[in-house]
Amino acid sequence: MAEAIHAEGLSKTFNGSVRAVDNVSFSVDAGEAFGFLGPNGAGKTTTVSMLTAGLAPTGGHAVVDGVDVFRHPNEIKRRIGLVFQESTADADLTGRENLELAAALFAVPRREVKQRVDSLLERMQIGDAADRLARTYSGGMRRRLELAVGIIHSPRVLFLDEPTLGLDPQGRAGFWKYVQELRKDHGMTVFLTTHYLDEADGICERLAIIDRGHIVATGTPSELKDRLGGDVITIRPIRPDPSLEASLRAVPGVTSVTAQDGTYRLKAQKGEELVPTLVQACAQSGAGLASVSVKRPSLDEVFLEFTGREYREEEGMTATDRAVRVGQFQQAIGRARR
Amino acid sequence: MIRELSALTKRELLRTARNPQAIITSLLLPILYLILFGQAFNLNSIGNGQVQIPAIVFLKLYRGAPSYFSYFGAGMTGFVAVTATLFIGANVIFDRLFGVLKRTAASPATAASIFGARLLAGSIQPIGLAFLVLGLAILLGHLGLSGLEVTASLGVVGVAEIVAAIVILSMMFASLFIAIGFSLEQPQTYFAAVNAINLPVLLTSAALYPWGTMPAWLQNVASYNPITLAVNVLRENLFAGASAYYPYDPAVYLLGLFGWAVAMFVIATLLARRALAPRR
Repeated sequence: MAEAIHAEGLSKTFNGSVRAVDNVSFSVDAGEAFGFLGPNGAGKTTTVSMLTAGLAPTGGHAVVDGVDVFRHPNEIKRRIGLVFQESTADADLTGRENLELAAALFAVPRREVKQRVDSLLERMQIGDAADRLARTYSGGMRRRLELAVGIIHSPRVLFLDEPTLGLDPQGRAGFWKYVQELRKDHGMTVFLTTHYLDEADGICERLAIIDRGHIVATGTPSELKDRLGGDVITIRPIRPDPSLEASLRAVPGVTSVTAQDGTYRLKAQKGEELVPTLVQACAQSGAGLASVSVKRPSLDEVFLEFTGREYREEEGMTATDRAVRVGQFQQAIGRARR
Repeated sequence: MIRELSALTKRELLRTARNPQAIITSLLLPILYLILFGQAFNLNSIGNGQVQIPAIVFLKLYRGAPSYFSYFGAGMTGFVAVTATLFIGANVIFDRLFGVLKRTAASPATAASIFGARLLAGSIQPIGLAFLVLGLAILLGHLGLSGLEVTASLGVVGVAEIVAAIVILSMMFASLFIAIGFSLEQPQTYFAAVNAINLPVLLTSAALYPWGTMPAWLQNVASYNPITLAVNVLRENLFAGASAYYPYDPAVYLLGLFGWAVAMFVIATLLARRALAPRR
């Protein structure tokens, strides 16, 4: 399959010392939904800014839709769609005017503008508010308008930089529904950054986990979860039996067993398929079975596994913010010395 | 290029039309000057009628204008170009703060279009406002107050020269304020910088003071001031016989003004290009 995005050794250092992105390499197939997952300050937005010709890299190169990003930034801007994490629609224009302006800037053929604008307004369910100023829109409507502006020129690659930040769960679900529809209808490649693990799991065919400027893992959500050692099976016997642990360990496919407070936690690939055998082992040992549950590992556990840290919405600064702060600090030191 | 330029210019004009407070603020200072300062400085009343001052003295003082208010009213008409373009630069700062500039820079629109649209809007908007101030200055004279008297018969060329002077002066100040807007990030810093420019530029021009009362050194400084160049064009066209008091024809002043506008345009273009280029 053709590559829509190829990044090789991409690096960005701010102020000569803050390495926001460090030697990042990855590729995204055409039509794929690829997620960049990581906490604030991990380097997600810096990577998107470089891939969309908004930020010059310190090192490496990138090709998007067959075009070298750093040699032909204007051509890249023509080919991609970009939805920022913050609202960028003009609050003093109506939803329709925002779309018409974007259509003119992206050179959408004049005869197609009206049809495309009307169609997008309807699709994003802002048709009724099309002639209202964008400043009167709700958060969800503004996000949908942002998405409409980002795709007015039917880009082949769509970059979404934390597009659902600040939206309520209903708003987020609605937004992703539109993205999935667009992918289905237009075969668009989607590159998204998020720190909502559930979103990445539900939308992306492949993921890269980025932490402190480095990619620490890449794969499908299932592959990443499988690397943890598979599913977690929790067995609670009716009565304690010293021989049960050995019996459970002996079941083919079980990779580890830990006992705690009379409950056994097993790790196994394809846990559901092992349940009958495990039930049988409990019965044969005489311990009996009070309950059994099988849980697929979540991306939270994946993140913990690969970064050694709990995944949480860190209140910390973004890589760019950190760089700015470091720059200000260095300037202050310089002034103090003088 | 033409399409993106016209779309972005339309956006700037729509934005101004939807924010009338910016228009009101642009007019406030020149109107206050007309109603308060201009009325109080009725220099023709010197001596309270007890001392007869020959009319020629005043004509020399005001370079051919029939009264101080007429001279001053023309100055305020030119000054509108400064107060009205101030918001074009401020919009750059607000567009950056609210993400609009980021969105535009992410599109294939060229830096020339993004800058050019603001410049175009900034050059067009003050024309109407300048004529509004000119109209008000004339109207005041019909309300029993000091007012501007147009003593020349204005032809098409005269009106065209006045419009050109306002447009070019607006273009020059729009470039300057856009350049400042692209260079600064915070609105507070912008308005501080603009205030630091506005008053000195006004006070070193011939918009306020009677030419004849200015010391020679200030006349020399004021001769090159862009506001002076523009109001010279206005005064030569509005007042009969005024040309005798000016060393050059309006066309020469327009040329000088154009030189200022080109210089500011070049500086602003460079700063806009730098601001809109991929960050390093």
